[in-house]
Amino acid sequence: MENQFELAQEGTILTIKLGEELATANATALMEEIKNYCETGVEKVVFDATRLNYIASSGIRAIIYAKRKLGGNPAIEFVNCAQSIRDVLKMVGIEGYITFASK
Amino acid sequence: MRQLHFQPITGKALDILDTILHTLEVASCKEVFGDVRMVCEELVVNVVDYAYPDRTDGYLDVEIEKDEHAITIRLKDGGVAFNPLEVEAPDITKPLEERQIGGLGIFIMLKKMDAVSYERIDNENILTIKKWL
Repeated sequence: MENQFELAQEGTILTIKLGEELATANATALMEEIKNYCETGVEKVVFDATRLNYIASSGIRAIIYAKRKLGGNPAIEFVNCAQSIRDVLKMVGIEGYITFASK
Repeated sequence: MRQLHFQPITGKALDILDTILHTLEVASCKEVFGDVRMVCEELVVNVVDYAYPDRTDGYLDVEIEKDEHAITIRLKDGGVAFNPLEVEAPDITKPLEERQIGGLGIFIMLKKMDAVSYERIDNENILTIKKWL
C-alpha cells in the first residue's frame, strides 16, 4: 500500500492530506515525515480527512505525535472528518482537543 | 471453525491481518467489520512485534467462529507471557500534549469488543475476543 498522505507547510500551518486509511501500514511513515517539520514554527496542523475512512491506534498515535513532537504545542484541526472517525477520536478522549471544520 | 496457522510471523503483521480479514467469517461481519478489523490489527501487531523478542520462528494460531449471534476470534502464540487485561489503562483525561504517544491498542480492544478473556496454558498466550452481531 502506498503511504497515502501528503504534507505541505504554508507559513505556520502544516497541512497533512490523508488517504483512505491511517493505520499500521502507513502511520510510522507519517510520523517520520512529521519529524521533518519539528521546530519549523508550526502553530497549527490541519489533517485533511476528506478521504479517510479507517483509523487504527497507530494512526491516533501519529496525531498525538504531531501535537507533542512538532514543538510549540500546535493546534490540531480535522477537515471533512467522517463521523465514524470522529467517534474513534472521541472514544480515546482526544476529540475535545481537535477542532473540526467542513470545507 | 476456521483455523489459521502462521509461522514464521516476523515482519508479516499486515499479511496475517489481511488473511484474517478475508476469511468468510470476518468478511461477512458487515455491521461490526470495522470494529473487528481495528481490534485484530492491534492484536496481530502486538504478537508480531513483541511476543518473540529473541526468536524468528515464532507462530500465531488464529481460530475464528461465527454463528448468528457473535463472532469469536482466538489468538494463540508461544511467546513471552503477556496478559493484556493486566495492562494499566491509559489516562484519556490528560491533556493531549501530556499523553503517552502509544498505549491505546488494548484500550480500544476493551472498548470495541463485548467480551475479552486471557489464559496462559502450556506456555501459550490465549486471547479470545467476542463481538455480538
